[in-house]
Amino acid sequence: MSATAVARETGARLAKAEADGLNATLHWSQAALDAEAARVDALPAGGALHAVPIAVKDNIVTTDAPTTCASRILEGYVSPYTATAIERLRAAGAMIACKANLDEFAMGSSTEHSAYGRVKHPLDPARVPGGSSGGSAALVAAGVVPAALGSETGGSVRQPASFCGVVGVKPSYGRVSRYGLVAFGSSLDCISVFGKTVDDATRVLRVISGPDPLDATTKADRPALEAPAPRADLKGLKVGLPKEYFPANLHPGVRAGLDRVIKALKELGAELKAVSLPYSKYAVPTYYIIAPAEAAANLARYDGVRYGVRKVGPEGDIRALYSATRGEGFGAEVRRRILVGTYVLSAGYYDAYYRKAQTVRALVAQDFKRAFGTGVDLLLTPTTPTPPFKAGEKTDDPVQMYLADIFVCPVNLAGLPALSLPVGRDGGLPIGAQLIAPDFEEARMLGVAAALERVLRPAAEVR
Amino acid sequence: MAWETVIGLEVHVQLLTRSKMFCGCSTAFGDPPNTNVCPVCLGLPGALPVPNAQAMRLAARAALALGCTVQPRSVFARKNYFYPDLPKGYQISQFDEPLAVRGSLEFESPDRGRIRCGVTRLHVEEDAGKLIHDRFPGKTAVDLNRAGTPLAEIVSEPDIRSPAEARAYLTTLKQILVYAEVSDCSMEQGSLRVDANVSVRRAGDPNLGTKCEVKNLNSFANVERALEAERERQVALLESGGRVVQSTLLFNAGTGQVKLLRSKEESHDYRYFPDPDLPPLVLGKAWIEEQRAALPELPEAKRDRLAQKYGLPAYDARVLAGDRVIADYFEAVAAAGADPKAAAHWVMGDAMTGYNETGRFAVPPARLAELIGLVAGNVLSLQAAKKVFASPGLPDPSTTSTLAVATSMGLTQVSDTGALGGWVDEVLRANPKEVERYRAGEVKLIAFFVGQVMKTSRGKADPKGVQPVLVERLNGK
Amino acid sequence: MNIGPDVVLHVAKLAEIGVDDRELPKLVEQFNSIVDYVAQLDDVPSTAKVEPFLAGPPATPLREDAVNPVPLARPPAALAPEFADGFFLVPRHGAMEDL
Repeated sequence: MSATAVARETGARLAKAEADGLNATLHWSQAALDAEAARVDALPAGGALHAVPIAVKDNIVTTDAPTTCASRILEGYVSPYTATAIERLRAAGAMIACKANLDEFAMGSSTEHSAYGRVKHPLDPARVPGGSSGGSAALVAAGVVPAALGSETGGSVRQPASFCGVVGVKPSYGRVSRYGLVAFGSSLDCISVFGKTVDDATRVLRVISGPDPLDATTKADRPALEAPAPRADLKGLKVGLPKEYFPANLHPGVRAGLDRVIKALKELGAELKAVSLPYSKYAVPTYYIIAPAEAAANLARYDGVRYGVRKVGPEGDIRALYSATRGEGFGAEVRRRILVGTYVLSAGYYDAYYRKAQTVRALVAQDFKRAFGTGVDLLLTPTTPTPPFKAGEKTDDPVQMYLADIFVCPVNLAGLPALSLPVGRDGGLPIGAQLIAPDFEEARMLGVAAALERVLRPAAEVR
Repeated sequence: MAWETVIGLEVHVQLLTRSKMFCGCSTAFGDPPNTNVCPVCLGLPGALPVPNAQAMRLAARAALALGCTVQPRSVFARKNYFYPDLPKGYQISQFDEPLAVRGSLEFESPDRGRIRCGVTRLHVEEDAGKLIHDRFPGKTAVDLNRAGTPLAEIVSEPDIRSPAEARAYLTTLKQILVYAEVSDCSMEQGSLRVDANVSVRRAGDPNLGTKCEVKNLNSFANVERALEAERERQVALLESGGRVVQSTLLFNAGTGQVKLLRSKEESHDYRYFPDPDLPPLVLGKAWIEEQRAALPELPEAKRDRLAQKYGLPAYDARVLAGDRVIADYFEAVAAAGADPKAAAHWVMGDAMTGYNETGRFAVPPARLAELIGLVAGNVLSLQAAKKVFASPGLPDPSTTSTLAVATSMGLTQVSDTGALGGWVDEVLRANPKEVERYRAGEVKLIAFFVGQVMKTSRGKADPKGVQPVLVERLNGK
Repeated sequence: MNIGPDVVLHVAKLAEIGVDDRELPKLVEQFNSIVDYVAQLDDVPSTAKVEPFLAGPPATPLREDAVNPVPLARPPAALAPEFADGFFLVPRHGAMEDL
């Protein structure tokens, strides 16, 4: 099929999703899609993603559509340069289908904190799709695009992937360039991928991977991400089950989903082993020191001076301009995190919060290293403690919202690759399981996920 | 009872790179506003910094020239504050793990002779943009061409004891940094900027007084003036029973006074933390040694070597070594065969006038060496040589020898007795009375005759050759 | 932990975020609940020995000193809220006139 034809069909699906009130897109147009298609049709066929339409979270910059991060402060902002990941997608023949809705500046776990309205769960409009990459997840789940880019700082792709019943892959920190990903928590941020299937996600991830001279935190000395070898069985594979991730009060639907995975692993010949990650329970509080601290600095650039929205305060001076622009331009959750991040770095509190959090982060990472050091190839955990929750349930209680990321967050602190795989449903709502791999061992993880997907797909797709 | 002044200096110098500290934008000075900007130095969403290797080399060389230890691992940190000239809302700098620590600078104090001032640290950071307040009514204009330019900040220990000493420290520091080709240290273009911390205490008091920081010091002379004004202000305050409040002050060169900018209570809380966009700067031993090897001979070593190798007086050696271009020129003239003392004399004299005006030496070293040789060989008088030196022919690249220029100017001295005899005869013929008086015993008239011969020959006659010919003719007839 | 409105307002000033008087009480409450929550790190002894963790590579790469900026598809004038004669413009700041 020609890219032009794909663009037409994709446009029709985007229009339908919009008409259905999913609110998953922030910017798209048929004209832009047609232009993408014309560009792709002029390319030689054979690109790894030739004529594949891909949704992009609206915190990754492109020059031909706005990048707002779902924030009022960047309303109408069109980047004058393109993110490395987008350049690579385009070079491989992909078409950027749309910019997807998100929690403002990727801060949230439900995509309710968007200045442009919440994203609805494709299976139940009263529920949330997860977040912060909720728009990207919903578009893949609704069949609008086969794959999408999201971003993770503390689970923002795996958690919505689990909620929406799609595959979500977070690469190792340093595997994918952050150049052009609007920074939130720079030591944690990773462009990450949604796919309808493991293979879709793998193909996209391989295209965007690799060192970038424009990002000093990419790892130039690591081997490229190879396509995982197909596996008929999982004989010889050792999978660790960290006991802290299977608490007694785990949601029964989630427990049942994980039991299905464990059964499938055994049937495929894998060996299971109990392991312990004792410091993981501190991951969320650690995250809520480090990420806001980095965010407070990263978001200081939105000051109404060089770009974006400017509000002039009543006093009309520069300080009033700053506080009005930032006070009115940022939403409540972003303001809260900036304030907390400023607090933990301020004179007299640095050691108690920021420095302490760095120590605990290292302890969380060390746990993983030790677990993998015992001969375990991968770890298996639930992705989320519950199936998707109802909209409005947690918006007034930031800490309850943070706890939705309790199983995904430790991985971000440790910089490891991990994915969420749909493993079944509970009351019609998707359940996901998480696989975690050692640093730069994505191929192993993706190969095992593909093997599990073959066994689990029927359960995952039954409503 | 006497007061002692205690001064520490923070000097920012712009590193001589082609591109900015963290992006590929040009560092050219004077381009139209906001033309040397890119996603990184505009602080656009999603842009990331990548450090400039040359900036690190230059900063390390500066550190080594100041005897600092370059740390095998240093860390970039974010310094957070809001200002319209700071695009990201933070400056990338270094904080608790700087590039280099523990150096010192030896210099000539006007009060205490040769002294050593400790250098606490040297770190690298990016510059801010420029604000222009007088161009748009009610508005401040922001130009970000300078934003992201690499700087080294050099922090001294509070070892300086007078405003004049502060000036001497700065002069020596500048000399070293220009020598090492780390920075051009032009205060006019803002590539060297100084902040000073100053306090006073009773002589002999081991404790430091409360210090104030003085900013906006735009020339070495103003550093001295500002520190004098601030010292007087503090002493007057203390002597009238008041106390110094820690604060930041601005110097107004127009009034010669300092003015309060902010007190300590209003001081910034910069919330430094390691920049997560930048892994640590790890510098291997070999890399550090490469930078050391790349350092040129520094002024002090050069001064000693010039004095020793060329037998120059200490004063001459210091003047020549004070500027690398001058020292190099001197050495080139000496290497071209000139007598070193004469070469020093010429370089510090006639040649320096032109250098001070144009910043370069127009006469090629070989031509000057020849000129010196012609004077030594009595082919040119000193007077004639000065004329030849100043002539446009000497710097001309098509000139093949100094002698050719001197000859074409008709300035070469004649020591051939035949030619001299002609001028001597002419002079004796024209002054018969004086000849008689000489022959009658008034021998001091010999000087008069020499002068007349020089005059008649229009300076071409070699004065040393003239006298024997004169004496012979005067006595012989 | 009990952080008062004065601290929250001080932090807001550092962060240059205008806070509406009406939203302050709720903000103070949420701020306290977040800070109380993260304070559970106190349970981890400060003496815990661990190798410092670094997310990125162990050493920064360095770029060669060449003029090759990433080009702008649109000039600064097209981005800025206020721009004239090549300059970004902001309201004049009293204290800035001295600098």
